[in-house]
Amino acid sequence: MVRTTAAATDGGGPVRRADRRTVRLPDAAGRFLEAYALIGLLVVIAIFFSVWPRTSGSFASVANLQILIGNQAAIGIIALGALIPLIANEWDLSIGSVAGVTAVFTAAALSGGHGLLLSGLIGIGCGLVIGLANALIITRGRVNAVITTLGVSTILEGVVNQRTNGVAITTNIPDSVVNFGLGTTAGIPRVALVLIAVALLVYYVLDHTPWGRYLFALGSSPSAARLVGIRTGLVVGVAFVSASLLASVGGILQVARQAGADPRVGAAFTLPALAAAFLSAASVKPGKYNVGGTLVAILFLAVLNNGLSLAGVPAYVSSYLNGVALVVGVGLSAWLGRRRSERRRPVAEPQPAMNHPPLT
Amino acid sequence: MTGAALRVGGLSKTFGATRALADVSFTARAGTIHALLGGNGSGKSTLIKILAGVHSADAGTVETAGRALDARAISPHLARELGLRFVHQQSSTFGDLSVLENLFLGHGFDTAPGFRVPWRRLRARAETLLRRFDIAADPGARLDDLRPATQTMVAIARALQDQEGAHEGVLVLDEPTASLPAAEAGVLLDALRRYAAAGQTIIYVTHRLDEVLEVADEVTVLRDGRHVETRPKAGLTRAALSELIMGRSVAELSTGTRRQQSAPTVLRLRELHVGPLRGLDLEVCEGEVVGIAGLLGSGRSTALRTVFGLVPPDRGTIEIDGRPLAPTGVREAMRADVAFVPEDRAREGCFADLTVLENLSMPSTGRWFRKGRLRHRAEAGQAAEEMRAHQVKAASVHAPMGSLSGGNQQKVIVARWLTRSPRVLLLDEPSQGIDVGARFEIWELVRKATAAGTAVLVVSSDLEELAGACDRVVVLRGGKVQAELCGDDLNETHLEHLIQEAP
Repeated sequence: MVRTTAAATDGGGPVRRADRRTVRLPDAAGRFLEAYALIGLLVVIAIFFSVWPRTSGSFASVANLQILIGNQAAIGIIALGALIPLIANEWDLSIGSVAGVTAVFTAAALSGGHGLLLSGLIGIGCGLVIGLANALIITRGRVNAVITTLGVSTILEGVVNQRTNGVAITTNIPDSVVNFGLGTTAGIPRVALVLIAVALLVYYVLDHTPWGRYLFALGSSPSAARLVGIRTGLVVGVAFVSASLLASVGGILQVARQAGADPRVGAAFTLPALAAAFLSAASVKPGKYNVGGTLVAILFLAVLNNGLSLAGVPAYVSSYLNGVALVVGVGLSAWLGRRRSERRRPVAEPQPAMNHPPLT
Repeated sequence: MTGAALRVGGLSKTFGATRALADVSFTARAGTIHALLGGNGSGKSTLIKILAGVHSADAGTVETAGRALDARAISPHLARELGLRFVHQQSSTFGDLSVLENLFLGHGFDTAPGFRVPWRRLRARAETLLRRFDIAADPGARLDDLRPATQTMVAIARALQDQEGAHEGVLVLDEPTASLPAAEAGVLLDALRRYAAAGQTIIYVTHRLDEVLEVADEVTVLRDGRHVETRPKAGLTRAALSELIMGRSVAELSTGTRRQQSAPTVLRLRELHVGPLRGLDLEVCEGEVVGIAGLLGSGRSTALRTVFGLVPPDRGTIEIDGRPLAPTGVREAMRADVAFVPEDRAREGCFADLTVLENLSMPSTGRWFRKGRLRHRAEAGQAAEEMRAHQVKAASVHAPMGSLSGGNQQKVIVARWLTRSPRVLLLDEPSQGIDVGARFEIWELVRKATAAGTAVLVVSSDLEELAGACDRVVVLRGGKVQAELCGDDLNETHLEHLIQEAP
């Protein structure tokens, strides 16, 4: 059905081969545009804020950029956590709460005088336990992942409030932790270096291990995945454990960054992190959830919000912008995807419009 | 009745770089069954989608009942107004709902004041409709409880229900018999003949050439997006049809070598009890192709799915090369070198949005994971080689699987298993919805595997395929093997007869 080779082997005639050549260039340009449009837009708004009189003084300063990037480290890692199950077409709505619980327990351990290592292990332990619980309920209990993680997330909010009585834990956090959270190495915030390391790790796992391939297979067709011998339950379970582990790493970074734990912060991470994971399909590898796209999306929203707040725009405006960016970004990538598959003539794809006669 | 019911003129459509339809014109006369034929990628599905208003044409006209329209302007709504009605192979009916609900879901429920659904009035209308289309079913019956042919007839009745005259408009049937067993297809074809005799114009899309010869009045053949010929059926033979469709003569399926008597047994099923199977005994030798024939629900697919570890057997044993296989799952079956090509290609076979490469290597991905990472380049090289060896037509190994034609998708799925050199290859309806050319190529691939010793067990509703491609065919009835055919006894008529025989 794909005519490019069919034309050569079936002797489809010179007409088709000729018109293939004429369309090739715009096709490639279109793909390039799809992949890098959001990055281009990111550069454009960054330049805009650098020259716009209301922000030009503050936006492009080293200090501002360091804050801007450093503030995205935790959310970036949490978004990478959301990305993993999303590839298998499963949603984890508990990631923000996992980060919150981790932050509270880690901060409590630190302020209680426990060592760095033990406090960190307690935090990671939170992620591991919650991730395992999610995985077991979803794969063994066969409860829908959205419902499971929504329920778990609600329970975790209760845990946080019980533990803190709604009061932030900020006393007695060791200086070494705070220095790590706010310090820089070679001009780059240290927390951002952690984000880069985690991003490389996730990229490696998704693109260079069979397990990553299996996640994409599950996202494409769970029943076909089972029929090629993929242990679907195990793959999904490990995806949820990984998501929770990454969320708890994000929670620990947040403790370092904020020199404590605010009980209200956790759950608020969930939606922006998921939004960034969704938006990842709009750039770098269009139509596929991917690590690079997630980072671009995080940075894009951060630059937008930072610039606007420097310009003195009221805070509610950024809520509008974040919402619009998500819908437009994901809508655009879906539209481009449809156009792409129309160009390639979908054969296996069902045509729902035809299967159901229009209602009159 | 010789007036034109549907006249298509100069229809063209290009997708990106691909010319899907090039200046296609033909006329279907009123009250006839007009077969629309073509291989995968011939443009016939594009043509139908343009008629349905799903795709818009680049140029051309469509004329029904004297009303001519620019083909670029057709929308689903306009297609309805033109009297075009569509029934698709993946039946768009709702199995859990009643016949009545199915009929009126396609039409919109009439409502009494207060949005109440006037069930009694609808029931009376449904009964009239069922009578008009000769359907022996109670409006309250659950659709899944009806025989498959009747379900399709309900879908047809739904599509045609609001035609003013009894048989106005044009009914387009897209492979309605693709998943029907022979007997059911026969019932449906009889019904179609009655509708046509009553004046209904039917455009009939199918890959089954025997049906065309049986039921069509005229045929239109498309190839590579071009109109090849429109002519009356009279005087056409199977061979002539497949030559028109493929543009070259296609060898009939043939086994070449028949079963070697001395070959050792590879797969042995003993006293298998599971689902509809009541003590199935079956043996497949090295290099042998054994077919399973039987009605839908006779346990044909269950037998394959049990061997592949998808269904745990209630009782009985499975042996491969003399070693017992207790299939607790797919992975155990794969470890015993069993391979399975499922019936539902779109849902269970393809990863439509992954690449051809990923689809090819999916069961063996671990093979490419060396020294800590996937060797993408080596994998792509191997995949390109397999594409060539298995005659898969795709833009590249990185093309999405969903962009391939059904026949090429099936070749990819068969290839993904053949590279593992399986001992046992299980094929469930391997050539459903695939043109004769691709079917031939797939069987060539299977034959190559049997030459290397693979034992093949195949389920098919296509008796011609079973008779042509298998060394031996067993007929399932009542959960057991009722008959076995091989050599000169193995032919379509014989098989049909044995399948239909009362238990």
